[in-house]
Amino acid sequence: MIRTLALAIAWGVAVTAALSPASAHADADTGITDAQKAQLEQLRAKIASQIQLQAYDLLDELVYGWTESPVFATDTPVVLADVSVPVGFGSGLEALVENHFVSLVTKNPRTHLVLTHCPRCNELIVYSGAKGTVVSRGVDQPEALAAAGAASGAHHALFLDFEAEGAALVLRARITSLEPALPIVYARTLSTSTASPALLRSPERLKSAAEARQEYLDALTGRGFFLVPMRLGIRNYAKSDSPDAQATPFPFVWLQIGAEAALTQARAWTASLSVGGTYTPDLHTGWLVQARIGRLLSGSTISLTQPDLYGFLGGSVITIYGPGATIFGDKVPTTKDLLDAATGVSKPEFTFAAFQLGLELRIKSRIGLGAYLEYAPALENAPSIGNYLDLGFIQFHNFGVEVTFCF
Amino acid sequence: METFIIFLMALPSLADRAGDPSLNAFRSKAEARNMECTRVSQAQAHERFPGQVPEPSPRVSSNLMDIDALVCTPRIVRVGERPARDEAILSSLSQSVSDIAQVAGAVGDPDTLWHVDAFYPDPRVAHKIAVAARTHLVETGHLVSDRVPLLAAGDLLVMRDLPERKRFELACARFFAEHALGEHEAFLGITVVDPRETQLHAGVCQKGVWQWLR
Repeated sequence: MIRTLALAIAWGVAVTAALSPASAHADADTGITDAQKAQLEQLRAKIASQIQLQAYDLLDELVYGWTESPVFATDTPVVLADVSVPVGFGSGLEALVENHFVSLVTKNPRTHLVLTHCPRCNELIVYSGAKGTVVSRGVDQPEALAAAGAASGAHHALFLDFEAEGAALVLRARITSLEPALPIVYARTLSTSTASPALLRSPERLKSAAEARQEYLDALTGRGFFLVPMRLGIRNYAKSDSPDAQATPFPFVWLQIGAEAALTQARAWTASLSVGGTYTPDLHTGWLVQARIGRLLSGSTISLTQPDLYGFLGGSVITIYGPGATIFGDKVPTTKDLLDAATGVSKPEFTFAAFQLGLELRIKSRIGLGAYLEYAPALENAPSIGNYLDLGFIQFHNFGVEVTFCF
Repeated sequence: METFIIFLMALPSLADRAGDPSLNAFRSKAEARNMECTRVSQAQAHERFPGQVPEPSPRVSSNLMDIDALVCTPRIVRVGERPARDEAILSSLSQSVSDIAQVAGAVGDPDTLWHVDAFYPDPRVAHKIAVAARTHLVETGHLVSDRVPLLAAGDLLVMRDLPERKRFELACARFFAEHALGEHEAFLGITVVDPRETQLHAGVCQKGVWQWLR
């Protein structure tokens, strides 16, 4: 029997060829054009960027576990022997994973792991002994490393293996003692099968998944189900195109305050009730009561990091007193009407209902910027008021903008 | 006015449909197939997605109303991006390796030192299978080595011409004869027997005797 050369690397190839069914995957890449390969590479790069955070999360969980329950009682030199990513992904993801892991271990000395640089550990080495000549990676032949004095003082090797199993990313970590028998002294499997979003933990302050979840809950509930919105807005009524219309509508500045309730846990639906007032010296005084219902359009739940877009529908009852109210009347105000109102001879008052349709951009449920169109049925007969938008069956007489501060 | 109420209400409805994992106007069949869905209770869903699923109401008894949620997550690697058999094996790797390791663990003694290797045409997949098996064995309390027993080149040449099942028997005998495996050591080999199947088979080599587990 010839037994002079047993190749450990060839073990993966030759033994596979010997023990596994032949020609099993011979046609894996046949029929794929260069363009398809390029497209596949692009797709893989996109997916890699998406699973990168999940991989980081698993590493965070692993290192957090080591800070709470260290594998070694004292600082121990360890070689990061291998990082393998899911089949189909390239070395780019490996580099990201490796960098993040080294960063985590460096920033968390409580793990008692001291990462050691050992170039020979990952290189192919040739070792000739009494039983023959073996070609393998350094970590697979610790006696060869020891003989060459190339172990860099490390007596343990760490292996990180990621694999995509359906929708879950699975991390398998193991630490092997670099002695001839290569016993595995630690192994752990972690999975993202809970389908939770990435926790985005800070490397300096790792925390458990339960603690991270509690922080998320606090962030959600911290905004409360009830808010007190204060709105500062301007209503601009359209000028009529009629030649009889002599008065030009002026902007009404409104200050509103009220209460807003979240109708769902995710603040996907909101409802608010507010009262407001407007005052311009010598022109008008007014008040309103407004109810609104809002719906989140930018997603199914409010975002902690992005602005949220709401669509809203509202109904108001508005009353205006003073000379300014004359433009809402069903006749064109004359000079005498205006003078009488200004001198207190007459006290114009106009009450009408209005309905709003608008959009509001909210930032963390704290500040909002909104714009809306308003339809007031009672103003259809007002000769001084025109339309911003006429859809035939409905006319929008007013365009408003507002800034909202929520407390 | 009613038209606009309907219009406004339609917007969120359309937005919701866009996020619906089931087949609809916004999602093709291929996209729907790439979702992996699990039905969970409302309490579990609230635990995982507190911002989206409300806490179960204590006033609603689970005996009266059974509310659950369907959690759908897109597959990390979409169907068709990896060879079909690799995908089938890798997608169920944890489960199949767990089953194998459970049976294998019952074969050996508590002080048996396990060596594990996998034989699969694609060496990357073989590596994944072997690593998963080793990790699972360690996690279930077994002694496991990272070293795989080696055979000489001559042995490999002879085995290459043997029928499938005979190869493992001969390899096992040679491991023991050449002291690559000791008295208290066992070798767990995982392989696919038929190129068309997606099921992993496994056998254990102990004291020179090969025993198929499944």
